[in-house]
Amino acid sequence: MTEKTRPLSARAARRARWAVPTVVGVVVAGAFVGPALVANADSDLPDLTPEQLLDKVAAAGPTALSGTAVYTARLGLPEIPLGDIAGADPVNLLGGSSTLRVWTDGTERSRVALLGATSEYSVVTDGPEAWTYSSDDEEVVHYTLSKADRARFDAMQEHARGDGATGTSGMAGVHGGDLPTPQEAGREALARAEQDATITVEAPTTVAGRPAYQVVVDPTSTTTLVDRIVVAVDARTWTPLRVQAWSTTDADAPALEMGFTDVSFASPPDSVLSFTSPPGASTRDVVVPMPSARDMAQARPDHLEGGLPDGVSVTGTGWDSVVELSDVDVAALVQGDPAQVAQGFRKTFGSRGAQELYEKWVPAEGEGPVPDLDTAALYDSLTTPVDGGRVLRSALLSVLVLDDGRVLVGAVPVDVLQDLAR
Amino acid sequence: MSLAEPTTDAATEPRLAEQPRRRPGAFGRLLRSELRLVLGRRRAIVLLTGLALVPLLLGLVLFVTRDTALAGQGPGFIAQVTGNGLFLVVAALFLCMPFLLPLCIGIASGDAVAGEASTGTLRYLLVVPVGRSRLLLVKAIGALAFAAAAVAAIAVVGLVAGAALFGVQDITLLSGTTVPVGESVLRVLAVAAYVGLSMTGLVAVGLFFSTLTEVPVGAMAATVCVAIVSAVLDQLPQLSAIHPGLLTHHWLDFAELLRLQPDWAVLGQGLAIQLAWVAVFSSLAWARFTTADVSS
Repeated sequence: MTEKTRPLSARAARRARWAVPTVVGVVVAGAFVGPALVANADSDLPDLTPEQLLDKVAAAGPTALSGTAVYTARLGLPEIPLGDIAGADPVNLLGGSSTLRVWTDGTERSRVALLGATSEYSVVTDGPEAWTYSSDDEEVVHYTLSKADRARFDAMQEHARGDGATGTSGMAGVHGGDLPTPQEAGREALARAEQDATITVEAPTTVAGRPAYQVVVDPTSTTTLVDRIVVAVDARTWTPLRVQAWSTTDADAPALEMGFTDVSFASPPDSVLSFTSPPGASTRDVVVPMPSARDMAQARPDHLEGGLPDGVSVTGTGWDSVVELSDVDVAALVQGDPAQVAQGFRKTFGSRGAQELYEKWVPAEGEGPVPDLDTAALYDSLTTPVDGGRVLRSALLSVLVLDDGRVLVGAVPVDVLQDLAR
Repeated sequence: MSLAEPTTDAATEPRLAEQPRRRPGAFGRLLRSELRLVLGRRRAIVLLTGLALVPLLLGLVLFVTRDTALAGQGPGFIAQVTGNGLFLVVAALFLCMPFLLPLCIGIASGDAVAGEASTGTLRYLLVVPVGRSRLLLVKAIGALAFAAAAVAAIAVVGLVAGAALFGVQDITLLSGTTVPVGESVLRVLAVAAYVGLSMTGLVAVGLFFSTLTEVPVGAMAATVCVAIVSAVLDQLPQLSAIHPGLLTHHWLDFAELLRLQPDWAVLGQGLAIQLAWVAVFSSLAWARFTTADVSS
């Protein structure tokens, strides 16, 4: 570099050229950061009382929509770093962030897809039928009702239509492969809000670029792990757009958060809502027993599985309620049903050594929504041993599994469950 | 580049850009000779052949093992290949994306200016009646052409080998929906196009490094390092705030094209990030190249 010998003007011209990348850098940074700052601008929505808001949400009912939602769980469970390895799999919902794509016609047909980097797990619901498809192992699971249940379901649908309520939860709540969506979770939270909680309306916010009211559901109980639930409701369609569940154990970030990042309220095309098994995919049919009316009344979203058999009792009320299941053979549940495993997907390796190694780590498993993961190992890593059983602690829910076959589940701290178990 | 054309003021070394007198047609001639050089030299042919061998080898391996216990295993889209040759393109691109493709593109773009400087031909180029800005543009087009040729080599050989070995059928999307052959081919070509456009940011980075040094190996290594460091940073959850802006973060978003309803916003975001990297690093390369003293 022979800087000294140059005339002054040339040096100035050189310096001016370096201003160009600087300007470009600033413009690029502005283009990416700018919209995020503008998006927080306040909107002037008319004030509404909590009652008015809840009425509007209830009156609006589910609408047709399609959108992208982000689900984030900070449940404080032990880290299971599977997301990147296992692809799109509902087990990822236990922790971290997942992206879901949602399509629904607002009545009984919907498709929810859990996206992985190069994979997808889809749940398609069409009235009394549902399919799950996992692109990783190309497996279709077809959930249907038995003939008798089907008749009962149709009757209920008729009944529900008469009431103006919906049958969306009919199938969705029954099978195990269901994926959560913001609008349904939000509705659920608001429907239960009037019991044992105070409801307030917070300053409006913006979700998915739309102005939204924020309803805060604050449980009156002080024992429960749930600090508050915040539901953001779209100010135009009265559809819940975001749900946050805050735990008493973490005041900085919601333990569960699910919200649309992008939503449109047009009816999705039929091609999206229908499902035909792709050629070459393995298909498994599962006939789902429809829970009796009594079970349905008792079933609450707190449950790990919908539709519970007999031997279920509930103690406590509202947010403090604890569900007790008796005679549950947890060991068999986590090992998987051997009959099902036989028809399931097994990996085979060319070398005997690899085969033995694989079978050592993945014993008699390979079934259900967690294809390549040993559920027994998962169970062991999620729960910690306590006196007389094992517990699962999370920010919102505690599960106590006793050696005598009883399982207690509730949105309360573990010691409350242990006191109850005695 | 040894095809510098003699000019009247060839003897004076240009102090700043745009010093050689402009001549109509000179840019076109320079571009043609650059493309001939970039795509025609032995190094380029070896690299492109190597990339083209990936889908061929992959296809043959999967063809031979398809009736054994090992069939259908492997990462990404490998499992689908035996059922549908179109997936060979996707699987090969998926396998080449993390390392092989950035490596080849790093070699080509890192060499663009530094290669000329190291062999002493850069100063002859500067007396071509084409300004330095345009000369850099020619170099950029050359590097981009190589990147496009690299992706095309994988895609075309993958398509031909896949069709020959496994046949072309309707593809089953990640969502479990089957789309007809015509749309399937379009979707796979769109995947290749997205992968190609995803490499533009890396080309710009390589071009910038290439203007910094006279040692081409240094520029190539630095370019490949940027891609690898970006991929490593992308793995750290602690840095999730900067992930969306990383060069490699959106590379795998090509999978969006294999979903039921591609979200164009996701693809647009990926391309916008590439555009941002191109804008920043090509302006840096321009500022550097038009102000640098060239002595060799």
